[in-house]
Amino acid sequence: MMSHANEHPLLKSARREAIAALSIWLLTTIYCVGYCSLYGYMRDPGDPTSSGRDPQSLTYILGFPDWIFWGVVVPWGVCTIVSGVFSFCFMQDADLEN
Amino acid sequence: MLIAVDEVQTPGYSVLAALLLFIAASVWLGTVAQKAMEKKDFMQGFFLGNRGLGAWTLALTATVQSGGTFMGFPSLVYSFGWIVAVWIASYMIVPLTGFAVVGKRLAQLSRQTNAVTVPDLLRERFGDSRVGLLASVMIMFFLSFTMFAQFKAGATIMEHAWPGSGILALTEDYDAPVATQSGESTESAAATPKTFRQTMRTWFPLSSKYYIGLMVFSITVVGYTLIGGFMASVWTDLFQSVMMVIGVMLLVCLAVPMAGGLEAASRAAVASTSPALAFGPGYSTAGREFLTPGLALSMFFVWVFAGFASPASMVRVMAAQNTEVMRKSILLLSCYNCLIYIPLIMTCIAARSLLPDLGKQSDSVIPRLSLLVTRDFPFETGQFVSGLILAAPFGAIMASVSCFVLVIASGMVEDIYAKLINPKASEKQLRRATTISMVAVGMVAILANLNPPQYLQALVVLSGSAGAATFIAPVVMACYWRRATASGALAGMMGGFLVYFGVYSCGWMQNWATGNPKLPGAELILSILGQDPKIGPAGFFRPYYILGLDPIVWGMLASVVAGIGVSLLSKPPAPELVKRFFDVRPTSTIGGTA
Repeated sequence: MMSHANEHPLLKSARREAIAALSIWLLTTIYCVGYCSLYGYMRDPGDPTSSGRDPQSLTYILGFPDWIFWGVVVPWGVCTIVSGVFSFCFMQDADLEN
Repeated sequence: MLIAVDEVQTPGYSVLAALLLFIAASVWLGTVAQKAMEKKDFMQGFFLGNRGLGAWTLALTATVQSGGTFMGFPSLVYSFGWIVAVWIASYMIVPLTGFAVVGKRLAQLSRQTNAVTVPDLLRERFGDSRVGLLASVMIMFFLSFTMFAQFKAGATIMEHAWPGSGILALTEDYDAPVATQSGESTESAAATPKTFRQTMRTWFPLSSKYYIGLMVFSITVVGYTLIGGFMASVWTDLFQSVMMVIGVMLLVCLAVPMAGGLEAASRAAVASTSPALAFGPGYSTAGREFLTPGLALSMFFVWVFAGFASPASMVRVMAAQNTEVMRKSILLLSCYNCLIYIPLIMTCIAARSLLPDLGKQSDSVIPRLSLLVTRDFPFETGQFVSGLILAAPFGAIMASVSCFVLVIASGMVEDIYAKLINPKASEKQLRRATTISMVAVGMVAILANLNPPQYLQALVVLSGSAGAATFIAPVVMACYWRRATASGALAGMMGGFLVYFGVYSCGWMQNWATGNPKLPGAELILSILGQDPKIGPAGFFRPYYILGLDPIVWGMLASVVAGIGVSLLSKPPAPELVKRFFDVRPTSTIGGTA
């Protein structure tokens, strides 16, 4: 990749933040969709050989179905914390005017 | 609509009173906004609020842009169950991607180019007026659908708020569920021609309350936007967002204990339906798979990319005061989303056990629930509280209409009048052009809604995603890629747009052929496209799913491939142009902005 000596500092930090944010998006997507696909889909009741969960195995955590708790609620909390850390410790302020 | 209105379902004057209160508050905010912006350059002030958005106004108005999320969503949870949590799950990441991917750079570019609109920015950045013109036409095309639908929704809510009109169903498109007679939701495609012919018999097929509602709604919203401009739109949006979170908190705190806790509610709901309510792909009596893993993946594209690449949210980011405001907005919006979506899902699961038999009237779940849970409040205050809860989505509709009217008018004034027709327009002329175009937009919206088409809601979803598929590549390229060219930007827009609509229209053809298998051509279409896979939400305007993915994924892919490919094939952009937007300016030319 070509380096540009005169590149605007805002551009550098913005690019770094964009890559970081999209990486977090990718991780979240892989985890949530992956976890919920593995544990959140019920076995076809008419076909005992089909993959998926037995409805009898469902447990509840704090009232949420277990797979929703681990696949959506927990990552949602983690994402909120990560977003907070990102915005206050990672993302840099820059002068927009020049 | 044969189910009798029972005793907890009649909203008295309280709902109407709450709506009028909302309207009055919005008009007041509009006049306050006018005082706040009177000082500087008219265009920057009226259409961008002098780039003065603070953290709260930016966070709660930039990506929460349509009342639709709050209206269709509860009905989905009620109908399909817990899987809808996965459908909306990407909202956990929307605040971060919404501001951190292009936000900072977009705000900088909009200052460097002195742009008032998104097409303005793209035109200057690529140094080509064709890019601006195409972007402008696209934005007006997408937003018009959404805006017309919101006018209709606003009018319909006012119609239903009238005492004695029965339950207030919070859907953006009332006719769609009513028109169906069999199957699940809007399954019966065969009903379309008949309903169409019936409505064509008369110019004014709806009740007079609807037309009164339409007039009151249009005049107030266009009116206060005309008075207060961008800031009026932003402040009413903030106002409704705050009301919305109060409403959701009230509902979840009242409904979940009433159902005996979340687990009890969930178990009761499962017992009255099937275990499918607690699992993917969702509960359905018609054999539809609401959310397959492929569609769950698609939703992580839909919300995230429609969140930052939609023209209406880009304008808000362009108006941000500084980068500190953006950073704070990420955290604020993250917390806000936590307070809205998961509690709303909990509320609707509780509703499933408290109000088990709504059936096709699932759209009215929130109004019914709010009247139910506030029933025992002393001194009839429950009626008024539920009126306020119901007024929040109405406020959301007003806020988004106001935003769309503004974006469309800014396109007409800035991108067409000031750039093409009269480049030397005085401030007075610009003001007059703004007034004329906003009144014109309002008139067209009223005319379009005198006899509103069905399935508008489907077109809303479609145009929202189409905006993302169209603008994603041009915007990201504009922000970060030196080698991007004007031809590349044009190709990225056209590529995303054409592929998205192409794939979508295959779905309509497939649907039409499935509904009319005897007609000529139907067999051929089905032999090419295959049978209806029975996944995703029901409705006539269903997309076609290639590899089980939503068309937005293919549209975005096409946009990116076309944008990069054509950029590389075309002549590199002029070095001065790239320098202007990518490099530090030599100190001697400070003040060269504007």
